[in-house]
Amino acid sequence: MNPEPFLQLDRVIHEKGRLPIVSLLAANAELSFTEIRDLLQMTDGNLSVHLRTLQEAGYIAITKTYRQRRPLTTCALTPAGREAFTRYVGLLEEIVRQTRGV
Amino acid sequence: MQSESMEPNWAADHLQVIRTLMERSAVYRRALAPMMLWAGALGTAAGAAGLLWPVDHPVRFILFWLAIALVTMTGSFLMVRRQALREAEPFWSPPARRVVRAAAPAAACGLGLALVIGAHLLGEAGDSSLWRLMTFQMLPVIWAGLYGCGMHAAGFFMPRGMRWFGTGMVAVALVLLAAGNPGLEPFQWGHGVMAICFGLLHLGYGAYLVSTERPHAAL
Repeated sequence: MNPEPFLQLDRVIHEKGRLPIVSLLAANAELSFTEIRDLLQMTDGNLSVHLRTLQEAGYIAITKTYRQRRPLTTCALTPAGREAFTRYVGLLEEIVRQTRGV
Repeated sequence: MQSESMEPNWAADHLQVIRTLMERSAVYRRALAPMMLWAGALGTAAGAAGLLWPVDHPVRFILFWLAIALVTMTGSFLMVRRQALREAEPFWSPPARRVVRAAAPAAACGLGLALVIGAHLLGEAGDSSLWRLMTFQMLPVIWAGLYGCGMHAAGFFMPRGMRWFGTGMVAVALVLLAAGNPGLEPFQWGHGVMAICFGLLHLGYGAYLVSTERPHAAL
């Protein structure tokens, strides 16, 4: 098996806690902090750490606003994040093809 | 991580996780039980009111039930909005848009059919017994069938049995269509069908949801 695709996998996305977050954001234009937390059943602290890592990598944009005087944090993939995710999925598919000998 | 590369199925497993998460995130998650109970209570009460009042003119029958539908949708809208505000989430979310888009064609057909029949009743054909029969005998069953189709389509973006509810609504509508009026006055049959389909079925599904919905998801 050629190890090259595996070595090319984006380490920021290829992490147990961050891959689900990026997957959710790839399927939705934006999601609130609470939606992501409830869907993934993560703690506030854990989710905050992963979101900060993704933001620092330039993969997500975090917007803080107020709705009915309550803070609302929403997250969305940036173009760079979407491109990185597409590339990541492409590499996974390539690995699967190699594994199956297609 | 390196050992992961030696595991033959990990990449396929990752892809499956991604697919599942993307699908799950597209599901509409507002608590449905209060809306179903509201719609069911209103549908049942409206059916009884239509029988006792009585609403026995075909045009009034159509207007009466369109008004009930409007009140039901307004109440449901306010419940959804209240849930969204309480959870500090957007009301018009991507899943909400998908649900509305899925149900819209069937709703438009039902409304269009009512308007066409109403126009005929008000026009030259107003005295035709055919159109009166169409209003009381057929329209409620067609409305129920279309509503079932709409709920079934929306159910692809909603959790917990909505597709089954839609299927059940279509099945009940077809059974009532096949059974036909057992000899009641046409307006009684019409209100009865509406009360069964839009009242009792909603109440039944709402009761099921109340008994199974997670506590924090309730209104």
